[in-house]
Amino acid sequence: MNETKTVLVVDDSRVSRLMARQFILSKKPSWVVEEAATGEEAIEKVKTLSPVLILIDVNMPGMGGLAAAEQLRLACPTTHISLVTANVQNATRNRANELGIGFMEKPITETRVHALLGALD
Amino acid sequence: MFNLSELQHDALVEIFNIGVGHAAKSMSEIVNEEVTMSVPSISFLNRADAAEMLGNKESSRVCGVSQHYEGAFKTEAILMFPEDKSLDIVRLMVGESVPLKELTEMEQEAMSEIGNIILNSCVGTLANIFAQELSGSLPQYHVGTSEEILSATGANASTVVLMLHIDFILEKHQIHGYVAFVLDLTALHDLQEQVDRYLAKVMGPA
Repeated sequence: MNETKTVLVVDDSRVSRLMARQFILSKKPSWVVEEAATGEEAIEKVKTLSPVLILIDVNMPGMGGLAAAEQLRLACPTTHISLVTANVQNATRNRANELGIGFMEKPITETRVHALLGALD
Repeated sequence: MFNLSELQHDALVEIFNIGVGHAAKSMSEIVNEEVTMSVPSISFLNRADAAEMLGNKESSRVCGVSQHYEGAFKTEAILMFPEDKSLDIVRLMVGESVPLKELTEMEQEAMSEIGNIILNSCVGTLANIFAQELSGSLPQYHVGTSEEILSATGANASTVVLMLHIDFILEKHQIHGYVAFVLDLTALHDLQEQVDRYLAKVMGPA
């Protein structure tokens, strides 16, 4: 299937966005990867995008990833949202559970991204 | 001077050891090669001695990434690499396909992200062991001697600090790095309290 779908990668680290983009496109070359550097920017972007997946960092300037994920959850009720974070604390995992979103540990690796994309098929 | 009992000292080293194990795993995933980490050693030092322990020389500039944590205790966590190796590390992280110019442009940002991953991996493990939460600042990037980096992170020259000193080695690339945690006396007491709670939980009340 070469269906075009959109993924939104939200991370203040350009290198992390670059890696996420590489790993997504290596499995789904026809998909479109959109980027946002802050939670605020992500919330603005989903007004015009309909991503099937949002990957969002936690520790970012501005409102931060958890507050943004909460709003994104409401704005995009059917989108799969996953935290991608270096913050491996149980408290953060629990919050992700409460929000009904996934949790992926950093560093972003091809294996982790492909497993997540495989689960969306 | 602040003292830990032998049991508290052992517990603290073991807890940091688990945290460092997670950090090594994260580092290994970043650079795609085996990373060996030393068993952490704990020392009570002032800033100047701490810098000396980390090899403070004008000729040996290091790049450091620090993050401030608050919650169950306060600490400044610092990751340090020799400055001349940082581009090699970033290259290992992003792969060969990124052109050198772009790689150089993103060096500082990539090192900050590496610091963020490694420090959070270690600190997050500690928080989980203590069943507490520690919230971290955004990573700060520094370049200088280890003394300059320690002073930039706010460690007072005469304050006694707990230096948790961990060496790690990337075998194939002969890169040595260090992780240090700087805690002041108040933070040390808070940390000691967490260690006592942990000991009471795992061993039962004394």
